[in-house]
Amino acid sequence: MEQLLVPMICKVDKVIQETPDVRTYRLKFREEGMLEKFIYFPGQFVEFSLLGSGECTFCIASSATRKGYFDCSIKKAGVVTADIHQSLEEGDEVGIRGPFGNWFPLEDLKGKNLLFVGGGIGLAPLRSLIQYCIDNRNDYKDFTILYGARTSADMCYKDEIKEWQDNKSLKIVLTIDRPEETWTSNVGVVPKILEEVVKPVIENTKVITCGPPIMIKYTIQSLLKLGFADKDIITTLEMKMQCGLGKCGRCNIGSTYVCKDGPVFTNEQLKSLPDEF
Amino acid sequence: MNVETFVTDKAGLNKFYEAIMAGHETYAPVEKFGKFDFNRVSRIGECNPESPISKTQSIKPLFFPRSAKVMKYVATSAGTEVSEVDEDPLAGKRVILGAKHCDARALQVLDKVYNWDYIDTDYQKRRENTIIISTRCDKADTHCFCTSLDYDVENLDALDVLVVNGADGKIYLQSRTEKGAEFLQTDVTRHASRVTKEIAAPDLKKQYDSFSGTFRLKMDYKEVNAKLSRIFDTPEFENVSGNCVSCNTCAFVCPTCHCFKISDEKVKDTGVRYKSYDSCNNGYFTLMAGGHNPRPVKYRRWRQRAMHKFVYYKERFGENLCVGCGKCTIACPVNISIFEVVNQVAIGQ
Amino acid sequence: MNYTNQIQEIAAKLFAEGKIDVFVGYRMNGFDDNQVPVLITGPQDVSKLVFTDKSVFNLVNYLKTDHTRKKRVGLVVKGCDSRALNLMLTEKQVKRENLYVVGICCEGVVDDAGQKMQNCLECIVPEAVVYDELLGTAGKAETRAYKVNVDIAALAEKPLTERAAYFEEVFENCIRCNACRHSCPLCYCAKCCIDQETAALYNGANTTSAAFHALMTWSLHLAGRCVDCRNCEKACPSHLPLHLLHKQNESVIYENFQEHLAGVIPDDRGAFYKYSLKDPDDFIM
Repeated sequence: MEQLLVPMICKVDKVIQETPDVRTYRLKFREEGMLEKFIYFPGQFVEFSLLGSGECTFCIASSATRKGYFDCSIKKAGVVTADIHQSLEEGDEVGIRGPFGNWFPLEDLKGKNLLFVGGGIGLAPLRSLIQYCIDNRNDYKDFTILYGARTSADMCYKDEIKEWQDNKSLKIVLTIDRPEETWTSNVGVVPKILEEVVKPVIENTKVITCGPPIMIKYTIQSLLKLGFADKDIITTLEMKMQCGLGKCGRCNIGSTYVCKDGPVFTNEQLKSLPDEF
Repeated sequence: MNVETFVTDKAGLNKFYEAIMAGHETYAPVEKFGKFDFNRVSRIGECNPESPISKTQSIKPLFFPRSAKVMKYVATSAGTEVSEVDEDPLAGKRVILGAKHCDARALQVLDKVYNWDYIDTDYQKRRENTIIISTRCDKADTHCFCTSLDYDVENLDALDVLVVNGADGKIYLQSRTEKGAEFLQTDVTRHASRVTKEIAAPDLKKQYDSFSGTFRLKMDYKEVNAKLSRIFDTPEFENVSGNCVSCNTCAFVCPTCHCFKISDEKVKDTGVRYKSYDSCNNGYFTLMAGGHNPRPVKYRRWRQRAMHKFVYYKERFGENLCVGCGKCTIACPVNISIFEVVNQVAIGQ
Repeated sequence: MNYTNQIQEIAAKLFAEGKIDVFVGYRMNGFDDNQVPVLITGPQDVSKLVFTDKSVFNLVNYLKTDHTRKKRVGLVVKGCDSRALNLMLTEKQVKRENLYVVGICCEGVVDDAGQKMQNCLECIVPEAVVYDELLGTAGKAETRAYKVNVDIAALAEKPLTERAAYFEEVFENCIRCNACRHSCPLCYCAKCCIDQETAALYNGANTTSAAFHALMTWSLHLAGRCVDCRNCEKACPSHLPLHLLHKQNESVIYENFQEHLAGVIPDDRGAFYKYSLKDPDDFIM
């Protein structure tokens, strides 16, 4: 076990300040050839350590189809993330363990309409899948992204969203919680916009959602109201994790280890778990 | 499987132990501050292989230490260097004397979680290199209920060598595994005489019957498993957890609890990463950086503990995460009994 | 010492009159002659209550849990427990009007082996100092003068190296389960300084140095506040002599701060929280 807990060293290639409290770190392995062994799929996560400060769990926010690097988007929330924001700059080194967990059911999504519903930093795991699907665009049918944030300043990946908007094969809907002077798009919480603006096709559609717990809760309610089946709603869970190996017992929900059996679950699976997340 | 059986007496048993200590790295219960810990010993006078069950800590720390170094590192502006820690002090060939049956059984339970998916190689190595010699208890303690759980205490194969106090001062040594048989074939048994297992069988049976008759606590674990799995939302958990003081003692002394935390200790540029015990009774256990906590109140944490032991682990790995040793009850500052709690919650339904 | 009947009557009366929501007392553990604390929420369970010389745990500890917070609580206190309660009141952790306190004129409690506990043999405040109702005969207990704890006195005789080696062994045997802290009625901080994520020293592993820092910080935080109920020591699964840390502080404070003893006088804020001209100042340059 002890060896499995020793991280690989990565170099910070680039730091992107997404919002006042979210930064994206683009990482490259220090040793040649490590990236080839680091095989990951959208939805998986890594254990990210700032040596001396501690270890945190972050999802991989980029797709393996974009070669040469991988991204982690980090919101300032606790002690370690505050340290990361304060001290981790380009050229610094961090420890990475992973990739861990399961991934979005890529085979199931083929040939389906995809609806992504993201809120705040919750777009990070979705971004990995969105990039993957854009890079394999022919495998999927209609493609809709609904993204909400508290304010326009809190929107992550602004440049990339512009690229998506320019891509005629994608439908992008943006929303913020309260009106702002320069904001021309939708205003309102995600579930409301989902019902009133997006009005998704239910047939042959898979919904992938991630965001703050409260948003996920109401989004799932809206989706069920719209007529989606539980098995077509896919989300990724946030739980406190430490080892990522299904050993340390922190991420247990009932007999499920979120770090091994998750973090990606369909709503059908979530319903069978004890209500403790 | 080859079963080796020997018979000896009290003096011969001590000679057997001494021979082991002379030739092997040996761990045995050593008294410290009125309780017994399994420590490295070299003479029979230092230890007491027959230490009372209520005062003896489990052998878990010999396989899953309270605090293990994971790695060392030096992080400077010039770069980061990670180095492996020194050799594992618990990985060598060794013998444990005086382990209780419940402790030995606990390792079988832990094997399940350490060997699914990612294999814990260090744990595995410690297991393989250890010979466990266990004396069968003569009498159950107040809080013991091992015979009520899902394992066969009489024919337990979690230990390598069984020691039984038979009638008329006779002491039997019997191998329970291939490893144990090989061990008994070496010259450690030179002061004992070999007998067939058929000759020993009636005495062993008699001792077991008299031992199993001393249990006051009895429960039907199947009923508890089945009932607990249906009552996640019962308010009874709130009642039974009322007098819990939310410390971590029960988990730290439990031979089957295996949750841990990873933490860094860094002075200037150099640091060490540790893996050490943690407990679900701890309010910070599941607290996330954003402030969200799936188990923010005491009864939920208690529920997790009880359910993990008697429902979740059973569902996942097919075993109860409890061996009925009663250590948690003895260690508890307010003597909360897990036996009483699960029975009260389950039978109350 | 047996007040079982009186306490049952009092609890039944309090529930009948609607004066309390929960009564904190002791019940038999159901396995042997030891007792466990119990929080009773209605008259139906009053018959479980007992009080004998096996009623060891300091129940003031339960005033800091969710089960009693913002509720009207009935509570049984012995002499040492009542001192802890006094401190809780002084430090504004509980409201007196929410409590109904049953004081005991304690004759000393016994440990698992039936021996009278050491703190009881040395106790100089056996009668409850804060109560609504007092059980037993006041003034019956023999009055003792303050004496330095026997173990402290014995340790003081030994050379420094021997003492250091002894305490090193103590800290080595600590398993960092924090049962001592959780059992202490006066450790009520919502988040202990030892658990702060930012305190890198404490944050980590179960090492001897971590145990040393945690236990020393803890004992210093209780200096001048510890009431010697020995909840911590009874809670310790490693049976560590934790009273040594507290009794040493206590005797130094008793000697230097006008014979101060924690929690004996109501509203006494404690040696470190008030200034007196008599306080020693020879260490100030």
